[in-house]
Amino acid sequence: MAEAKTLKTTGDNVIVCNEVQKWYGNYHALRGVSMSVRSGEVIVILGPSGSGKSTFIRTLNRLEEHQGGDIIVDGITLSHDVRNIAEIRREVGMVFQQFNLFPHLTVLENITLAPIHVRKWSRERAEEVAMKWLTRVGIPEQADKYPGQLSGGQQQRVAIARTLTMEPKILLFDEPTSALDPEMIKEVLDVMRDLANSGYTILAVTHEMGFARTVADRIIFMDAGQIVEENTPDNFFHNPKEERTKKFLNQILNH
Amino acid sequence: MAGEIPPGPPSMGQESIPFWRDGRVLGVLAQIAFVIGFIIVAGWFVSNILNNISSLGSSQFICQDGGFSYRCAFDFMEADAQFDISETPIDYDPSDSYWRALGVGALNTVKVTVLGIIFATILGTLVGIARLSPNWLVSRIALWYVDLLRNTPLVLQLIFLYFSVLLGLPQIDSAIQPLGLPMFISQRGVNLPSFEFMPSFAILMAFIILGIIQAQVLWVILGRQEELTGKESNRLTWAIISFIVVIGIGWIVSSNETNQAVLTPASMRIREFDDFEQIVLNRLDVNQLNDIASDLEEGLITQDQVDEAALKICVLRDAPSETNFTSQLRRADIPYEVKRTTRQDQSTSSFIEGDCEAYVGPTAVIAAERDAMDNIIAATPEDDVVNGGAATMLQLTENPIRLSIPRIEGFNFVGGWKMTAEFTAILLGLILNTAASIAEIVRAGIQSVSKGQTEAARALGLSESQRLRLVILPQALKVIIPPQTSQYLNLAKNSSLALAVAYPDFWNLGNTTINQSGRSIQIILLVMVFYLSISLSVSGVLNWYNRRNQLQER
Ligand SMILES: Nc1ncnc2c1ncn2[C@@H]1O[C@H](COP(=O)(O)OP(=O)(O)O)[C@@H](O)[C@H]1O
Ligand SMILES: [Mg+2]
Repeated sequence: MAEAKTLKTTGDNVIVCNEVQKWYGNYHALRGVSMSVRSGEVIVILGPSGSGKSTFIRTLNRLEEHQGGDIIVDGITLSHDVRNIAEIRREVGMVFQQFNLFPHLTVLENITLAPIHVRKWSRERAEEVAMKWLTRVGIPEQADKYPGQLSGGQQQRVAIARTLTMEPKILLFDEPTSALDPEMIKEVLDVMRDLANSGYTILAVTHEMGFARTVADRIIFMDAGQIVEENTPDNFFHNPKEERTKKFLNQILNH
Repeated sequence: MAGEIPPGPPSMGQESIPFWRDGRVLGVLAQIAFVIGFIIVAGWFVSNILNNISSLGSSQFICQDGGFSYRCAFDFMEADAQFDISETPIDYDPSDSYWRALGVGALNTVKVTVLGIIFATILGTLVGIARLSPNWLVSRIALWYVDLLRNTPLVLQLIFLYFSVLLGLPQIDSAIQPLGLPMFISQRGVNLPSFEFMPSFAILMAFIILGIIQAQVLWVILGRQEELTGKESNRLTWAIISFIVVIGIGWIVSSNETNQAVLTPASMRIREFDDFEQIVLNRLDVNQLNDIASDLEEGLITQDQVDEAALKICVLRDAPSETNFTSQLRRADIPYEVKRTTRQDQSTSSFIEGDCEAYVGPTAVIAAERDAMDNIIAATPEDDVVNGGAATMLQLTENPIRLSIPRIEGFNFVGGWKMTAEFTAILLGLILNTAASIAEIVRAGIQSVSKGQTEAARALGLSESQRLRLVILPQALKVIIPPQTSQYLNLAKNSSLALAVAYPDFWNLGNTTINQSGRSIQIILLVMVFYLSISLSVSGVLNWYNRRNQLQER
């Protein structure tokens, strides 16, 4: 245990969590979560519904406040210091299940809003970078449309471009394909695969087992607010250590 | 068999339904019944009105020649109003016509409505946001405020504000000066410092526009250079500095313009400011005098003598120059006595009659007065000319904008912006009451924006104020504006409760006019037209804004 802790604070870890606790009123949602992420690592978080996956990754950019333990992101300890929070949010991008695009702004305005107002870029620079990312996710021709005019898959790709234009070091995905029709899942997963291959540090909550198997460097399995198992994809799927994991895999693979 | 079914919807078998159960027949019958009912009710109203008008006609629509006709309905409005109005944004005198009196009322209503809408919106938005504050105390206070103000009648609030709060304040001589600031709160209302814009402000304004343009140009040029060299220059700082420099030059240039003048009879031979002192000293008739204050102390002269010798000045009402000129007199220890005149022509006549030895006003007005006076004097028989003939003009220079600070002079406040107790009561009442409703609308509007929007904004690193301003409010506005419009209309119409606190708004003065002239039909008609046009303008503006806002989406 002591050995694990020293490993978690070594220099190339971009995220270190130590005994993170979170309560919603009386409900104990995170019960001492400890883990760390190295720069460039792709981590997939699996677990049954309600196990605290979303809660956990949302504490990493302080969309949720944790009430115990430490979270260190990119060398900054998360606390009530608003300056630290602002700094971390600039380095950590997040993609949501429901896309959460701004409906009153065009695709291009959605993407350039934060770079202009948070990073203080000039409009020209922001638009240039935005177009680069829109091209990368394959929909540069949609720049002047409003989110409501796009399909779900396109909207999620805009949301990814919006996050990436802020040039974050770390990407958090919370079930990015769960709200999509089956035929659109692939286009989003392709983008995520592309990002994983270009060296981003990624934490993704997803139910796409194919993605987890082929892209993840490590799989974290959560249940009841705790990390039950951390393993390589190969071992996780073929040789799980924990009984709880086996039960979970049985349920999802045999339905 | 299947092939024989004809395309199109199957027949409903309508013949079998009795007509009193056929929805289409019932629809038509309902419409016919409605139209007949409407015609009966409307006809009853119209015939009633026409009857009343024709029976009142002989007393209401009297023409100059004694006959009566609808065409003469508004002739009475030309007559002297004969009542005084306590607050007049434009010149008004009881000898003015009813038209002018109601014009004053209209301006008073517009003033309280516009200010009310602006401040109710600001306060309401803040309270609405406070209602959603995670801070328990803040959200509680906002809730209490909303509940209290929405659950009591507005008239009661107005009467409470006016009689308990404002009239409970101290008299003018012990007016409250909060924190020693240059403002007074008393039974007379609130007196605040204000800015006065001199005629030369136009020149400064030109420089301000020039400054904005050149700062923009500089901003763009530096931006280009930044892109070429790739080096960050402090272009915001430079743009601001250059803007300030241009404004500074504009200030100096416009400060050299003469904005106001003092008009005096030629007999006084005024060539410079010091001459005024000489005139008073001569009049005091004590030869070696040069310091009135010390001579008073030594008993060489009496206060009565000084009062007698004081310079008599007429000041065009609220002329910006007043405070400048009188403050110069005070600084030079020259005793003076001010007579404020509301009308230019009154000044001219006072001047000719010798009531005023100096007449203070804006340069342009004074120049026109001098011409008018020269004409009068030229047309007057030699013996009747008072003060010996044509006038001289002394010009004073002044900054294009000056701060006017209220002060107590005798039993009045002079300078600054005066808010009477009546105006304060109606304005405050309308603001507090409407803000409570607006707060609820704003709260509902903000809550109508999904939580995901807030999360996305936060995750992108937007600050809380950026999140509200750039993400939440633009979306909430679509929900907010329609009910907001009806709040604004309520405020405009509720302003007619001004009657309760004796603020001379349109409805109040309309009432006075009815009582005095007995012409109720005409005035009620004017009141209806007036409030209707205010309502239409308010909703017109908001509808335009809403349409523009809607266009941004899809
Ligand atoms: N805002 C909240 N208030 C109260 N309980 C919450 C809230 N958000 C999540 N929870 C509870 O916390 C637990 C974990 O939720 P979540 O992290 O969303 O799970 P997952 O993403 O793994 O499905 C669930 O039991 C959920 O009901
Ligand atoms: Mg979840």
